[in-house]
Amino acid sequence: MYAATTIGGGLGTGLLSFYLGIGVAALLRTMFGYDAWDRDFNATIGYIFGLVGWLMGVGMWGTWGREWFGLKIKDPHANSRKELGWQRYFMFNVDHKVIGIQYLATFLVVFMTAGLMAMIIRLELMGSGQDFISNKTYNTVLGMHGIMMVAVAVAAVVGGLGNYAVPLMIGADDMAFPRMNALSYWLVPPVAVTLLLSPFLGGLETGWTAYPPLSVLTDSAQTFWNVAIITFGLSSILGGLNFVVTVMFMRAPGMTWGRLPMFVWSMFVTAWLALLYTQGFAVALIMVTLDRIAGMGFFDAERGGDPLLYQHVFWFYSHPAVYIMILPGFGIALEVIGHFSRKPLFAYRYAVGAFLGILGLSGVVWAHHMFTAGIPNYLHGPFLVATELISIPTGLIFLSALGTIWMGKLWLRTPMLFALAVIFNFACGGVTGIFLADVPTDIHLQDTYFVVAHFHYTIVGGEIFGLFAGIYYWFPKMTGKMYNEKLAKLHFWWMFIGFNLTFFIMHWPGIEGMNRRIADYPESLQTANLIVSLSAFLLGSSFIVFIYNFINSWVRGPAAEANPWGARTLEWQTSSPPPVENFLTPPVIAGHPYDYGVPGAAPHVTFFPPAVGSPAGGGGGGQ
Amino acid sequence: MSKHLIPAALLWVVLTAIGEATFLLDWLPVVGSPEAEEWDLIFNVLLAMGIPVFTFVVAALVYAFTNFKTSNDGVETGATFKGTGMFPKVWLVATSALVAVAMVIGLVSLSNLQADKSGYGWGEDQAPLVIETTAQRFSWTFSYKDKNVELLSAKDSELLLPIDTEVKFELNSIDVIHSLWIPAFRMKIDAIPGRTTFLTVEPHKLGSFETDENFRVQCAELCGLNHTIMSMHIRVVEQAEFDAWLASKQAKVSR
Amino acid sequence: MAVIAAHGHGVESHGASHMSPEKRLRVNRVGLWLFFFSESIIFGLLFTSRFFLLGTHQEHVDQFLGLVITIVLLASSVTAYTAETAMEKGNRKLAQWALLGTILLGVVFAVGVGFEWSVAEFGLKLSEEHHQEPQNVVFGTVFFTMTGLHAAHVVSGVGMLVLAFIMLSRGHFSKESHWGISSTIMYWHFVDVVWVFYYPALYLVAG
Repeated sequence: MYAATTIGGGLGTGLLSFYLGIGVAALLRTMFGYDAWDRDFNATIGYIFGLVGWLMGVGMWGTWGREWFGLKIKDPHANSRKELGWQRYFMFNVDHKVIGIQYLATFLVVFMTAGLMAMIIRLELMGSGQDFISNKTYNTVLGMHGIMMVAVAVAAVVGGLGNYAVPLMIGADDMAFPRMNALSYWLVPPVAVTLLLSPFLGGLETGWTAYPPLSVLTDSAQTFWNVAIITFGLSSILGGLNFVVTVMFMRAPGMTWGRLPMFVWSMFVTAWLALLYTQGFAVALIMVTLDRIAGMGFFDAERGGDPLLYQHVFWFYSHPAVYIMILPGFGIALEVIGHFSRKPLFAYRYAVGAFLGILGLSGVVWAHHMFTAGIPNYLHGPFLVATELISIPTGLIFLSALGTIWMGKLWLRTPMLFALAVIFNFACGGVTGIFLADVPTDIHLQDTYFVVAHFHYTIVGGEIFGLFAGIYYWFPKMTGKMYNEKLAKLHFWWMFIGFNLTFFIMHWPGIEGMNRRIADYPESLQTANLIVSLSAFLLGSSFIVFIYNFINSWVRGPAAEANPWGARTLEWQTSSPPPVENFLTPPVIAGHPYDYGVPGAAPHVTFFPPAVGSPAGGGGGGQ
Repeated sequence: MSKHLIPAALLWVVLTAIGEATFLLDWLPVVGSPEAEEWDLIFNVLLAMGIPVFTFVVAALVYAFTNFKTSNDGVETGATFKGTGMFPKVWLVATSALVAVAMVIGLVSLSNLQADKSGYGWGEDQAPLVIETTAQRFSWTFSYKDKNVELLSAKDSELLLPIDTEVKFELNSIDVIHSLWIPAFRMKIDAIPGRTTFLTVEPHKLGSFETDENFRVQCAELCGLNHTIMSMHIRVVEQAEFDAWLASKQAKVSR
Repeated sequence: MAVIAAHGHGVESHGASHMSPEKRLRVNRVGLWLFFFSESIIFGLLFTSRFFLLGTHQEHVDQFLGLVITIVLLASSVTAYTAETAMEKGNRKLAQWALLGTILLGVVFAVGVGFEWSVAEFGLKLSEEHHQEPQNVVFGTVFFTMTGLHAAHVVSGVGMLVLAFIMLSRGHFSKESHWGISSTIMYWHFVDVVWVFYYPALYLVAG
């Protein structure tokens, strides 16, 4: 009932406002002497109205908006009450744990959908020739696969696992701005809906990068796509801001910077990146939108504009965005490796330094995406150097991971397997990156399947494997149930083998002359593509195991203990799932989170006064 | 400790040897020009450097995976060193040195690319044969400068290039961004509305699309609906054959 | 968007339940500063784009009008500051008048920009007859976009000031607790500072 009111209210006010906006736009156009109807212009104004209407309708008005006018508001925490059961997840809820699960569930659905699109792409590319879908459909599927996966990579870990785990891991009772956190999430459904509708609004032609002049000239759903992505950017910026402030101010007493768990560190740095750079994508798309709907000439060379401006602004965000994607993956990998090696995390300070180093360098490497774009020759050298410099902090992550497993007692449960796979996959993705950072080799490899293989190795192999490490790792905490270990391991090996077959082989057609984003290729590339496609189907099918295990364990799994991994960190020192206020008594941090087996080490966390019935002490089973 | 280090190092050596053995296979695409030769050289050098880096990580992972695992539900703890000693510093110096080497390789080859006559990107130098290239959705127009011959990818089947002659492509685009890529020469540059970009190659091998499918011009920047089919075959021929072909084309035009 | 976000910080008082009011205020303030930081990157990217596309080239603009609206906006920062200090001293009457003054000056600025748009000698279409060359058009593009984005912030700022004014008149806010007003005024100062960069970039740069 509550859920229906929320979603129905949001949809109702959203749609009404959408039509209102279209009307207002038509009125304005008439007033200034234009035709009343211009699809892209009216729809943009309508979208903005609709978005505000949707947000107010799902509950922002009652719990927040009224306050701006001095009216009494509904207690925003009311929606967190446990008695509401599953309906909590379909309401404007300020509890970070609920929001985390909302994000995670939403983006798992998006992930699976975008994965199906990858299967369609591979089906088309299985044989040379146009055999399955038209060029138009191919471009649409390709663009949607790209942007939806980018959205998953940006938000699934940060919004899902980050929201769930970070406040718990630093001993806070919630994020610093709980309602803004809810706002960040509720901005997402309109984005997802708009993206999913785009095939019916004219399709997509430009891929996820939306390079003008094509994105200005194209007669497709481009404008809808632009405003949706700008909205998503807003969500990402507000989320980043929230994490930065949360980690700065909401840490429990004794949680010094030197005692922060690695995952929190990675989220902190990621949040800075989101806060600093996401505007680049937004500004780039605002310019494209203005070119489309307001007749501006940013990218029209005939009218003095410059198409390369877009690429500079776009990559100014979109390169740091790959670190927004990969750093949480590293964070989870180091976190899990730390606990499951039962050994102090190796070179903790260097790993933190690596995160900060990547944060510092990520803003000065963007033009390496443009080596073949006719940028001035004097830009090649500096961007080559800056790009390769990033290998040094990245190397420190490997130092930390490999040093930690060395001489450890590896407890090879599923999260650990995924975490180790992150290190393996990223080693391959990192080495192939050198070929792309190097200008002369990049000139041939740019825009080929070599690039496709490379970024799938880093983003899927690095982050998505990290995402699954995190899902299995925190599954007992989030659901209070234990997943089925056998099925989980099956999922891991199936996915790991499918992934590596697909993308390792994919380097080969790239070098052999197969460019990206094509529905057809010369016949000599037939064999390679057939193998890649078959491997991709293997990879895709592995998620059936995951979905079954995920749902079945959540519904029917055995109850999980508070601390099934015997981990030292805070989130495991409260019940599974945690109470709404996270900790019944305030935690105090006394030691380092990874001091497993260190003689005389203080437990990471103690409680004052000791909570009645709280799980035993802070040491965890590893002591 | 060394009881683990030696077998792990051995594993690394073996994996590296397997990796480097791929150099026995001749798997890179057809080499159509000195530019491609240069590319293959840099690629192989970087690959030779990259393989041991990758196998280092793999060896450490595989060794740890098989030798340090425990099945006692995480009760037992491992060694307690924290990596606060010299080792991370040594690692930092070693990786920095490795990166520095990669940078030097990159910069040296980059200066070769930019310094010679080729004028990649924004070069100004003239070549004996200049082809003014115009890209549009979804075709190419190649105009042999001062030769009064024009080829259209939509109409003509092949782009003819003479062997051992520097050919400079001057690129323009009349609508959206395209990219001219010739896999056999390992060269690519975008065609951007409002600017002229350059690319110079010197084919040194006779060949055509029939002998190797990498003798083709391919659009490598997504340009819309029919981006897939925006390509044209290339045939590299002897100078005499080229001159004859050019003359016959010119005759057709003047008639 | 700015309205939601800035006011969002403005009223976030039901956040984490165990936060003291002083800490809440500090957290809000840092959040708001980070929001400005983030917004300044949007403005900064457009600012950079202007020079990327045009170097220091500049079309003819009405210098007098530009100077007047700049002075108006800077004056509004003074009145806004007066409102804030008045609230801190508990002088509600003065705060109301100062807010009203800020609103009026803000409206004058917005109208000024609108007038500037209507008399601009550069458009978005090439035309030989009206002497519209590519550089006129691209200057028009950056001029309308930069001033437009800034004016949108001014208008949203005015909206927030009006809300603050109404609530103050109805007896909300006190000497001790007036984050709603402080945050709005901080936002207003931020919008002014942006103009301090945009004015020379659009009006003065060609000397």
